[in-house]
Amino acid sequence: MIDLMNVLVVGLLLGGIYSLVSIGLNLIFGVIRIVNFAQGEFVMLGMYGTFAAVSMLNMDPYLSLILTLPALFLLGVVVQRFLLQPLQNEPMMQIFATFGLLILLQNVVLALTRGAAVSINAPISSYTVAVGPIQVSLVRVVTLVAAALVALGLGWFLHNTLQGRAIRAVAQDRRAARLMGIDVERTFMLTFGIGAALAGLAGTLMTPIYTLSPQIGGNFIVAAFAVVVLGGLGSVTGAFIGGFVVGFTEAIAGFYIDPSLKHAVWFSVFIVMLLVRPSGLFGHVGAEEVGLREQH
Amino acid sequence: MVAAVAVAAAAEAQELKLGAMNPLSGALALYGDELNRGYELAADKVNAAGGVLGRKVVIVRGNASSPQEGIAAVEQLANRDKVDAFIGSYISAVASAASEAALANSKLYWDTNALAAELTARGLPNFIRSGPWSGTFASQSADATMKLIAKTLGKEPKDLKVWIEHEDSVYGSSIAKDQERLLKEAGVQVVGVGAHNLRAIDLSPSILRAKNTNPDLWIQTGYIPDTNLLLRTARDQGFKPQAMLLVGTGDTFETLEALGKEYLEGIMVVSYPRPDINAKYGPGAAEFLAAYRAKYNRDPIAPQAMAAFVGASILMETIQAAGSADMEKVKAAAAKMDKPLGTYATGFGVKFDQNFQNTRAFPVVAQWQDGKMVTVYPVEATPEGAKLADMRRK
Repeated sequence: MIDLMNVLVVGLLLGGIYSLVSIGLNLIFGVIRIVNFAQGEFVMLGMYGTFAAVSMLNMDPYLSLILTLPALFLLGVVVQRFLLQPLQNEPMMQIFATFGLLILLQNVVLALTRGAAVSINAPISSYTVAVGPIQVSLVRVVTLVAAALVALGLGWFLHNTLQGRAIRAVAQDRRAARLMGIDVERTFMLTFGIGAALAGLAGTLMTPIYTLSPQIGGNFIVAAFAVVVLGGLGSVTGAFIGGFVVGFTEAIAGFYIDPSLKHAVWFSVFIVMLLVRPSGLFGHVGAEEVGLREQH
Repeated sequence: MVAAVAVAAAAEAQELKLGAMNPLSGALALYGDELNRGYELAADKVNAAGGVLGRKVVIVRGNASSPQEGIAAVEQLANRDKVDAFIGSYISAVASAASEAALANSKLYWDTNALAAELTARGLPNFIRSGPWSGTFASQSADATMKLIAKTLGKEPKDLKVWIEHEDSVYGSSIAKDQERLLKEAGVQVVGVGAHNLRAIDLSPSILRAKNTNPDLWIQTGYIPDTNLLLRTARDQGFKPQAMLLVGTGDTFETLEALGKEYLEGIMVVSYPRPDINAKYGPGAAEFLAAYRAKYNRDPIAPQAMAAFVGASILMETIQAAGSADMEKVKAAAAKMDKPLGTYATGFGVKFDQNFQNTRAFPVVAQWQDGKMVTVYPVEATPEGAKLADMRRK
């Protein structure tokens, strides 16, 4: 019984990590219709930003958000404006461009760090809270809470602010949105900036958990793509819930079946899901095609 | 003018060039550089004493961070730089591909650091390995379990419960398989074997499974990111086996930085012999450390550098004995070499088996003590004045 509880808690906390990483990816996909391969590298940049702030400025890892969030937001805006916007009418080229960005960012960080694995050993890394007989890592709880707040906050923003409504309008039909006087390019920049900043947030919050390497983004991104497809392309709620589906599946399979088979198990769940519901749990029917549909 | 060219050409012909096959770029560049430094220190030492066959030894660095690059680097170094032989390698996959390319150029490939069993098992006519291999890492971890850990914990082997954890590529799996076999043969209770992926986001299930079997000893063979994540998860989950033994990694600043010295205190690591080892076990280790510090202005990042230094030294002696760097002559000379354990700074001796694997090269076990690694096994390797710290997890 304690085992099961422990495994469920592990799954819940892992779900928080997956959700947080996936929400930004799904926002970008839903609005700009770009599969951003460099999203994992944005997470990685957030991690290294926090590492730099902690080791050079002696900053608290969480306080480093005041640096990583604006920096990643700005990077997202720049990438959208100067890399993706010029390729706006060539969706395939945009995907290749994000892939190129992935390789560029990885290698820049590799050149700067020479490949040494780095970690921060902040006191927060080792704090645990006892929930009954179960030990829970505080850093992971913070990540889980952040994922929930981001999902709620982003939902509120998209539904209750003018900018948020503009983003949704562009997501639904960018030509009609343009006719209504919405600056589509500016909305894209804002969206990509938010998506990148969310990746930076995920990176900063997870820095106390992991040992950083320039390739670490790739570890998250495969899972994040699965989460996005599982939850429904373009759906914030879908990415949030999808993260927990993958988290629970992985924890249960890892404990009760075999840790080395957990990916095989959740990819099986993923394939079955695609067969039964191609648009994902919360996706609109047909959303899976929209990424490659010509947009104006 | 003609005379000057002739003199330069003559000087060039006088040099003995060794092409170094290590990664200079990519994720492992830091370690590739460590190995190259080991080779260069060996060259400096031999050059100060007049070189090999009266020729000055020069290390020519090739960039080999993947098998494809390794093959390209071999071609470049063989044809453009006219190296006499190749030396490597930090990466087993590179050693495998580059040694075949070297064979196509009829050049010797001398390996000092790659661990994969298949490298020597292939019986490639130009391949010789002077350092330890995965099998010796497994046997040393099994030996230390019986002779050091069981003894310290006051248990008979049959009462000792061991969990074997490993990353799931060929590196971790092959060592874990040997560990399991050797420990079971010795009557130790292997209560479980767990495999995990190096790139896993979460390793809690691996720790929870091990924790449920309540082992006395937890052995982990892996890379740095997974080892660090497992240790952090073990700390979070309150998993405290009586002792922990890491194999291959976990002995560098990268693990110290992630876990801190208080947590690591007492944890043991099977790895390459370190410069701190006892001078009677590894004569010249202190001199190696002094030479490294003098040339590079800091301490070695990882113990691999000293194994590289020793491997290159053995190669140069063998070329001297062979009278040439020709692969057949070097092999014939290597087959005749017979030096007892404790000849070199790493404690290695030299005696090659029929596949040209050095049978007298072993890793050692070191222990984290107050944020530093101290060699604790074999007992003869323990530095003067040092002793085993309490290995029990608190």
